[in-house]
Amino acid sequence: MIEIAGLKKFYGKRLVLDVPKLTLETDRRYALIGPNGSGKSTLLRILAGVLVPDEGAAAIRGIPAGEVGYLPQKPYAYDLSVLQNVMLSLGGGKEARERALDALERVGLTSLSSARGSRLSGGEQQRMALARLIARPRRLLLLDEPTASVDIRANERIERALTDYVSENGCMLVFSSHEPGQALRLATDVVALSEGRVAETGGAGEVLRAPREASTQVFLQRWRI
Amino acid sequence: MRTALQLAIDLLLSGSAELKDIVSVTLRMTLTSSVAALLLGAPLGVLYASARFPGRKALIVINRTLMGLPPVVCGLICYMLFSGVGPLRHLKLLFTVEGMIVAQVILLTPIVTGSMETYLSGVVGPIRETARGLRLSRGRTFLLTLNESKYQVVSTYLFAFGRAMAEVGAVAMVGGAIAYKTNVMTTAIMMYTNRGDFTLGLALGILLLAISLVVNVLAHLLQRSPA
Repeated sequence: MIEIAGLKKFYGKRLVLDVPKLTLETDRRYALIGPNGSGKSTLLRILAGVLVPDEGAAAIRGIPAGEVGYLPQKPYAYDLSVLQNVMLSLGGGKEARERALDALERVGLTSLSSARGSRLSGGEQQRMALARLIARPRRLLLLDEPTASVDIRANERIERALTDYVSENGCMLVFSSHEPGQALRLATDVVALSEGRVAETGGAGEVLRAPREASTQVFLQRWRI
Repeated sequence: MRTALQLAIDLLLSGSAELKDIVSVTLRMTLTSSVAALLLGAPLGVLYASARFPGRKALIVINRTLMGLPPVVCGLICYMLFSGVGPLRHLKLLFTVEGMIVAQVILLTPIVTGSMETYLSGVVGPIRETARGLRLSRGRTFLLTLNESKYQVVSTYLFAFGRAMAEVGAVAMVGGAIAYKTNVMTTAIMMYTNRGDFTLGLALGILLLAISLVVNVLAHLLQRSPA
């Protein structure tokens, strides 16, 4: 479970995140939606421990830190082979290699396993970064726009890989997305953010099809659900 | 030009003792000072780029200022420090290769630091954020950062090597361009030119350029990361 209380984050003097209270349950899949600058990435980075809040706290309860995985919006492709990149959090050995190859198979990158990670296209790097994260079992995945720079086919592959991984590992999922359709396909619940504040929360279908708040309505108007 | 080129080749083939000494002193000074500057400057660059501590920004500004330190000013300072009335006279470094190396290290270290700091500032954040997302240890993250810097370290070193090789102001003041002792290729070119021996000066210049070309080709090849 993730418990957020009195959370505030400033960039300079600008308040970019203000979440007085929010609870996310372990057995759910949450989509953070909202326009650019609504605070999605900041919230995920705080949850991942990359950013420290200026006020309040976000506590992950019941999940050891080692079992939390985080995918930044622009994941870094290390100057290693794709396979070595994926094996980074696995250690060495035959089993690690098999796990890494399995993860690459899931995201459709097996044929590029010996290529240089830093030489892949943006979409391929995104898939490699996801494979790197799902190569080992984790209980919480925090993903910042996991399909930001991929085409439709790769998008489908990533969503399928994520759905399989989450159900196989009983993994909690919190991800940000600009695309409400993706939120509907992957999430059980939605947290709609606007200007650093939680505008509304609820079941994915409920919030995405019949938003109550004006800011969510404006954001969703641009999309056909 | 053709005569100078022919003379340069003839000089190389002749095995002239003076030329051998000039090249040997040049390489000794250049290699030692560039390695020392890399060993001092690269860790500082890593520190400035990756750590947050009070006074960091001021140190970066000072370093950037020192990157533009005129060699003759550096030579003058070293001369004053090492001369008979200077505070470091007991080191007896004036008119020695060691003194020239010290001057070169003072000139090159800020350049190495600045180059590493500029490069790493752009990549340390994403490297760390991704590593943190994978829950990699600090040691592992540090090793990954080093791996990501390898081409930059090599190219920075080669740049420092090239600068050290081409330097003339500071080494002339501190070394004194003494034949068979502290005369390096650049000071020898100056000396031959002053004597009116343009052809010999030009021949040495061509030799210097040839070494610089080899260094730059090497830098180019090393900077091309493998596919």
